Amino acid sequence: MKVKFFATYRAIAGCESFDAPAPCTMLELLQYCSKKWPKFRDLLLDKSGRQLGPDLIIMVNGRHIQHLDGINTKLTDEDVVAITPQMAGG
Amino acid sequence: MADNISQGGWTGTILRVNLTRGTIKREPLNMQDAHDYVGARGLGTKMYCDEVDPKVNPLSPKNKLIFMTGPLTGTFATSGGRYEVVSKAPLTGTIGAANSGGHFGPELKFAGYDGIIFEGKAKEPVYLYINDDVVELRSAKKYWGKSVPVTTDKMQEDLGKEFRIATIAPTGERGVLFATIMNEKNRAAGRGGMGAVMGSKNLKAIAVHGTGDIKVARPEKFLKEVTKARKMLMEHPVCGEGLAAFGTEILVNIVNEVGGLPVNNARDGSSFDKANNISGEMLAETYLVKNQGCFGCSMACGRVTKVPQGIFEGKGEGPEYEAGWSFGAACGVDDIAAVLKANWLCNEYGMDPITLGSTIACAYELYEMGAIPEADVPFPFAFGDAEGMVKLAEMTAKGKGFGNTLALGSYRMAEKYGHPELSMSVKKQEMPAYDGRAIQGIGLEYATSNRGGCHVRGYMISPEVLGLPFKMDPLVTEGKASTLKLFQDLTALCDSTGICLFSTFGIGLPEIAGQYREAVGSDESDEEILLKGERVWNLEKKFNMAAGVEKDTLPPRLLREELPSGPAKGKVNELQTMLAEYYAERGWSKDGEPTKAKLKALSLDGYKL
Repeated sequence: MKVKFFATYRAIAGCESFDAPAPCTMLELLQYCSKKWPKFRDLLLDKSGRQLGPDLIIMVNGRHIQHLDGINTKLTDEDVVAITPQMAGG
Repeated sequence: MADNISQGGWTGTILRVNLTRGTIKREPLNMQDAHDYVGARGLGTKMYCDEVDPKVNPLSPKNKLIFMTGPLTGTFATSGGRYEVVSKAPLTGTIGAANSGGHFGPELKFAGYDGIIFEGKAKEPVYLYINDDVVELRSAKKYWGKSVPVTTDKMQEDLGKEFRIATIAPTGERGVLFATIMNEKNRAAGRGGMGAVMGSKNLKAIAVHGTGDIKVARPEKFLKEVTKARKMLMEHPVCGEGLAAFGTEILVNIVNEVGGLPVNNARDGSSFDKANNISGEMLAETYLVKNQGCFGCSMACGRVTKVPQGIFEGKGEGPEYEAGWSFGAACGVDDIAAVLKANWLCNEYGMDPITLGSTIACAYELYEMGAIPEADVPFPFAFGDAEGMVKLAEMTAKGKGFGNTLALGSYRMAEKYGHPELSMSVKKQEMPAYDGRAIQGIGLEYATSNRGGCHVRGYMISPEVLGLPFKMDPLVTEGKASTLKLFQDLTALCDSTGICLFSTFGIGLPEIAGQYREAVGSDESDEEILLKGERVWNLEKKFNMAAGVEKDTLPPRLLREELPSGPAKGKVNELQTMLAEYYAERGWSKDGEPTKAKLKALSLDGYKL
């Protein structure tokens, strides 16, 4: 499963993307990232460690997880996940 | 009622400059209209509609050109550095209202003027000199034919560095239909061809210096509202950090991720496999020198950029996300140095980069299908040709060869070669950097925008992609009409106050209305103030109807050609469904015309155009 980072998250991860183990849920992926890069701990998840952080956008195959199954979205090896801090422009 | 309206936020004076006669008059600001239409975009449009026949040829002396500030322009309000240029747009034939930042608008108010109405046409090139009370028309012969930076530098050398300069380039002098007006070199009143209107009047520039201040009606309450709004912006992840770090170009990867970044004139879908090469992240890693802000802005999204060597060597400002796309994915180009070079040419020669990039993309497609004769082109075109794209931008800037065809904009060019359907435009203005098939609501915005293909009349990307202030599914039509109406009305209000639209990523109606209320001394509710935005929208629509502007629709490609891949594979824009809901939400007829009841509710029923 390919996981891509955008904006400031690239500096935290030190890479544009990485291959993550699958299958898993979105929660498990975010917990995995938080363990691998401790600076993500307070960004990707809230203090409980069970809910999404407040200021980020996560997509699976181009679909925002709010339109999927949120933090419980099931992920397979074929999926492409994009994780980015809240952004805007135009 | 007008007698009871305070002049808070205003200087109370409008300059009327008759270029034919060479006269300058000071007139009092109509406070009733200021109350009803807020300022800048709204009030400028009302002033314009009062005086100009909607059927006017935009480039004739009978047309007028209005520079108008808002009541928050030049105050401590959040990002209160904006002003509006209003006229009939030569590119579209619609009402044209082009918004710009920097420091020019505030400086005009510091000099003691809320706005300027230009009428007629000067016999020879002139510029308007404003130094507080001294206002004069002066010869601009020595500046005519000069680019934006050369004109700006020479005028400041002649007048003093303290003068703020708004000028056109030779593109405006020649009547290029998407010529811009540039202030402080790199800030643009960009869309619709306001620069061509200015050029048609032999008006090269405005140089302004002011030393006055602006009084608001209730200073203590105003400061309290501003402080609250500023705190919200500073603490917001986008307005407090993201825009400063990466600028608007940061959107490239995320919009591409949702399959909404149109590729090769939108012919080849909206998933660009080389998007990262033209992204905000790439810009930050390569050619970004520093960020830069406009008057009173804490967001500072501007990009100062430099390419130190190679065929695209140079320096300047930008690009914004839209230009990053138009010279990037739209042309199949993934060389960010080429994108920068083309964007700098737009600043230097006063051209709208959305229209120019999209027009080059259209030319690429027309040429590839054999619609443009070999004799017409200076060299073979091909999507992905970065060097060719920059050469074509330069030819357009300098009025050379095929550049004069590109200067028509994509619609007139495609029409000339028998394929107007390949112009990715609405009402002859090119759509920006989001595909209306992958993001349904932005398609509705393009179709209904009062100035043709435009994203900043109701920025549906906020809810549909970014989740601001709430998340909507980009692939469905449900709820888009009502949300777009709200966004369009709020944007019309925001533009009319004189603060930057980007602030709405972090603040909303309560904060905009709160600052406005205390600046002008109003006791109106948020809803009553928002209604003024709706009034502006309906007045713009009335003007367009009287001008004979074509109906609300999208290019056939977006309505009929399914996206071939990506998250929105198989989708077209479902415009007809959304349009019917939108007209109902607006209280308009099924044909999209404001009803008598709606006009009465907005106090527009007695207004004749």
